Amino acid sequence: MTMARFLLRRLALFILALVAVSVLVFAALRILPGDVASVMAGLNAPPERVTALRQRLGLDRSYPRQYLDWANGLMHGDLGRSLLTDRPVAAQVGERAQVTFPLILCGLAIALVLGIPLGCASALARSPRMQAFSHMAAIVGGAVPALWSGLLFIMLFSKGAGLIGLLPSQGFPVQGWDQPGQALQSLLLPALSTGIIVGAGIMRYTRSLLGDMLSSGYVDMGMACGMTRTQAALRIGLRVASPQLVSVVGLTMAEMITGVMVSENLFALPGLGSMLIADVGNRDLLAVQSELLLLAAFFLLLGLLVDIVHRLIDPRLRDGTRREVAA
Amino acid sequence: MRPDEPGVHAPGSATEAGRGHDRPGPRAGADDRPGPSTDPTLNEAYRPMSSRGNSLPWKLLSLTLALALVVSLWTGHRGGQTDRTQGGLAGSISIGLKLPPGNLDIRNQSGTALDQLLIGNVYEGLVARDSDNKVIPGLAKDWEVSADGLEYTFHLNRGMRFSNGHPLDAADVVWSLRELMDRHYQGSEMLRNYRSIDQVGATTVRLRLTRPYQHLLWELSGRAGLVFDHRASYDMKTQAQGSGPYLVETFRPNDSVILKADPHYWGPRKAKTGTIRIRYLADDNAAVNALRSGDVQVLAPITANLAGPFRSDPSFHVQAGDDTDKFVLAMNGKGGATSDIRVRQAIRYAIDHKQLIASRGGADKALGGPIPPLDPGYEDLTGLFPHDPGRARRLLAQAGYGPGRPLRLRLTYANTYGAELGDQLRSQLKAVGIDLDIRMVEFSVWLQDVHANKDYDLSLVDHGESHDFYQWATPTYYYNYDSAKVRQLYDQAMDTVSRERSRDLLAKAARQVSEDAAADWLFNYRITTAWHQGLEGFPVNLNQSLLPLADLTYRKA
Repeated sequence: MTMARFLLRRLALFILALVAVSVLVFAALRILPGDVASVMAGLNAPPERVTALRQRLGLDRSYPRQYLDWANGLMHGDLGRSLLTDRPVAAQVGERAQVTFPLILCGLAIALVLGIPLGCASALARSPRMQAFSHMAAIVGGAVPALWSGLLFIMLFSKGAGLIGLLPSQGFPVQGWDQPGQALQSLLLPALSTGIIVGAGIMRYTRSLLGDMLSSGYVDMGMACGMTRTQAALRIGLRVASPQLVSVVGLTMAEMITGVMVSENLFALPGLGSMLIADVGNRDLLAVQSELLLLAAFFLLLGLLVDIVHRLIDPRLRDGTRREVAA
Repeated sequence: MRPDEPGVHAPGSATEAGRGHDRPGPRAGADDRPGPSTDPTLNEAYRPMSSRGNSLPWKLLSLTLALALVVSLWTGHRGGQTDRTQGGLAGSISIGLKLPPGNLDIRNQSGTALDQLLIGNVYEGLVARDSDNKVIPGLAKDWEVSADGLEYTFHLNRGMRFSNGHPLDAADVVWSLRELMDRHYQGSEMLRNYRSIDQVGATTVRLRLTRPYQHLLWELSGRAGLVFDHRASYDMKTQAQGSGPYLVETFRPNDSVILKADPHYWGPRKAKTGTIRIRYLADDNAAVNALRSGDVQVLAPITANLAGPFRSDPSFHVQAGDDTDKFVLAMNGKGGATSDIRVRQAIRYAIDHKQLIASRGGADKALGGPIPPLDPGYEDLTGLFPHDPGRARRLLAQAGYGPGRPLRLRLTYANTYGAELGDQLRSQLKAVGIDLDIRMVEFSVWLQDVHANKDYDLSLVDHGESHDFYQWATPTYYYNYDSAKVRQLYDQAMDTVSRERSRDLLAKAARQVSEDAAADWLFNYRITTAWHQGLEGFPVNLNQSLLPLADLTYRKA
């Protein structure tokens, strides 16, 4: 009952936010100088051709009209067609998302596999060596720009250019995921180069969350029941900290959508980043505004998902009250 | 009721938690390691003898690394060349280019990326051009020009067909040219003095002009002369159906194109390689990595500075080709300070072209005027404005600028050309007392501010087109350059039927433009191409606007 109410309220907010985003995106893009007709017409075009193109592309309509036409399409599930390529924006985004989302997921998986155990180890560490190592790892990992780590990986592991030629350093197979082995290979280095950086962040969060837990009484309680400190921290502390960790992972994932653009560029991957840059550069505004709206919807959905997961894993929130927290 | 619900649940969850606590109890008791105390103060003082208690994270870490290594080794082994070879020749070749086309609509979309990809490969023109920029037969096997230069009669090849099976005949040629002119497609503005085109026989067409036009044939070798199938209907932005040796199999905007040889190609330039993958590599370093790792067999262009290691590597071949790209530093003829010829001349004297070229790797050529060596009317004009900072300063002083009144100019250019060029110009002009305020913008912004609104002092663009001198004879063009003498010379050069006389007139006009310091031509950009040994038939000249791939082959060493 409360869950349904919660979902309904969040859904209403979600739609409201999307409408606001659509207006913002539409208006912001109209401030940009330049238009797709002059880009298409090029350097030697007589002004008449630019005018004719503008007319054909519907750029001579008033802004409110353009917005309404776009919104009308959106309501029917039609994101519109790119003015430049004449392909449906949805298909265009789908094609590019096949590169970006696996990349984000691989990067995130690497980040979690590295970050959470190391974070726990770091919080629980007592040997000065382990502490020093984990501090170093967090600082170095967090300070390295993705561009640099990417170049390092290319120099170390790329086929042809690297010390140990293992993996392709750039590009995505033209056949895409029809060749899963090659597709995965081409994502490994970029995923690693972003994964270790994001992992360092997650490691720091895990360490400080678990550190708080260690002094919070939950762990003492566990130890009073006969657990070792490590067991109490991992079984109780980590569980209590998990909602916050989920928020952090959700936020991290949202950040990675823009974060992986650097890696996409360095490794010449045809992902969402290069598509957005090209479309903005060409002033293919219809495509850009739909793409940005999709991304915004994705961010909002991610937030919604994080909230739902919170409720599922945290019994204190499940029934809509937080009164036991104080107790 | 609702307020009670949490109350009902709360004890339940508390007992759950309690049970959770209970469970590990016995196991913890069974653990024979010396456990830490339950007293936090004792815990603080406790230091284990070894880090054995924390070995779990280390194990996890090493396991992860080992797993990563195994995965990468496994996937690394599974990769590799998938090219099937036929008689030693590779069945497919990958080539790396730089500027990607956003769509395939060659009639509406500007930019040389489409010329490069489609002309001669997928679409064919009435006539074609060779690697020296000279007109050669295309769909027309020969032609006659009337003595007054007003009538061109083209005789077409027989048995021509489009890739969809439709025959290609005089009707298609006539339809294509009429559509071009009626609908103002790209290239129509280049057909000066066009009057009509008519079908004379099944394989003969006649093009009439109102006045002679010296560059007509050359223009017909570009977009203006392309012949499309008048019976076909397809989405030109995503597909291309022509009569050339290749079909477009896959097109991914701004990313890649796959060309497949047309098995039913009609003509003499049958494709020698079955599949050609074209990848557009925007990032120079990624492009070089692709070449080195063999992901692409040829890369054009390769930045001259990054080509060094390939030159000394015997498994690669590196060569710079001639091209018509002119890096034009335009000076607004109606701008505040730049309307003064002394200022413009001072800028030209202040620029050290040798230094610019050397810093880019040395492949480019100095160019003193608007016509590059591959175009008719070329003359070496580099002597007109030698590097002479003293003279530049004197000219500026005459124009009223000096230490008391420094000259500040704004240089607007597209960010695709990189920051280096602008920085070099700033330091060179600084030496003669000109402050350059550099504004790097997106190409679309440049198009609006500079090209359309002419709101600029200095602008920098690579004008890649060939035969584009008309820009200097068009006062409305963004240069804001208007010289009656140049216009007259250009018109005469186009009107004459004598090629030699036309060339002389163009040379005269070009010298005038250069003397007027309407712009500075920083250099003639020469494309450097690098390829793996064993690759043959890749054009080196003009390959950013004309890239016939039919003869391309690759034999792996």
